[in-house]
Amino acid sequence: MITIVKESPKYIIGEVTITEANLSNSDEFKAELIKLLDEHKKVLIIDLQELKYVDSAFLGALVSALKYAISMKLDIVLAGLRNDIRDLIKLIRLDKVFKIYNYAEEASFAVNKM
Amino acid sequence: MVFEFDNSADKLVSSLQYMLDDIAGGIPPQADAEDIMFRCKAVITELLTNAIKHAGKGSTRFNVDSDGEMLTICKTDTGMPLYLINTRNNAAADSAVENKRLISADPLSSLYANWESENHIRFSSEEGSLDDFLSVEEVAEHFGILIITNSSDEFTYTYDRNTRENIFRVTIKL
Repeated sequence: MITIVKESPKYIIGEVTITEANLSNSDEFKAELIKLLDEHKKVLIIDLQELKYVDSAFLGALVSALKYAISMKLDIVLAGLRNDIRDLIKLIRLDKVFKIYNYAEEASFAVNKM
Repeated sequence: MVFEFDNSADKLVSSLQYMLDDIAGGIPPQADAEDIMFRCKAVITELLTNAIKHAGKGSTRFNVDSDGEMLTICKTDTGMPLYLINTRNNAAADSAVENKRLISADPLSSLYANWESENHIRFSSEEGSLDDFLSVEEVAEHFGILIITNSSDEFTYTYDRNTRENIFRVTIKL
C-alpha cells in the first residue's frame, strides 16, 4: 500500500500505490503509516499522486496517524494530491493541520529546512 | 434517477461513478460544473460510506433529481435510526436554543444538529477559531457528516417511524 522510494537522514518518502482509499482499507493504511514511523523514526512524506478516490474514513486514518507522528516529535507531510482531494481536505480545514506540497521533492526541500 | 446500492464496499466506487455520470449530463450550461461535481462526489461518497457502515443487509435507495435550479440527492434505507434522533430534549421542544445542539467540535469546525420537528434534523456547521489551537490531539477523526454539511446547501435527516426509513436529503444549488 505504501512503497518507500527515498530515505534521507531527516525523512522518508513513501508512495501510496492504491488508487482508492476508503473504509475498507483505512485501518490497514493507518497501520502502515504507524509502522513506518516506528521503524524509521523520521518525518514521513506521503506521495499521494496515484490516489483518485478518498472518503472520510481515510481522512480519519490520516489524522490519527498524524497524532501518532506528533507524539513522536515527527510529522506526516502530504504531497502529490489531486485537486479534488486537496479541495476535500480544505473543505474540512485539514489543510490547517497537514503540511501540503505539490510534489514530494518540494516537500523534501521544506523538511530539510526545518 | 433511482439507484439501488447493495451496501457492499467493493461496489462503492463504481456506484459513485454511475451516479456522477448521470448528474454530469444534467448540469445546466451556466452552472459551475466543476464545483457541482466536486460537491456531488463528496456527498455521494459519504452517503455510500454511511450505507456500508450503518444500513445493514439489503439495499439502500438513492434518488437523484434536478429541476434545473436545485439538485437533490436522497438516500433511503431501513437500517438503525441515526443515534441523534432519540436524543432531542422534548421538554424544551419549543426553545430554539434547545433545538440547536452542538454535536461535535474541534478547533477546526463545529457541527450542529437543528431539530425542526421530532423526527427531522437539519445539519449546520461553523468554522472554529484557530486562536486557541494548541495541539493536533484536539482535532476530530470523524468527518462524514461534516463533509456532507459543508458540501451542500442543505442537509437533513428524517426518520419515518411508520416505515422505519432513514432519509438523508441533500440539496445543491445549480
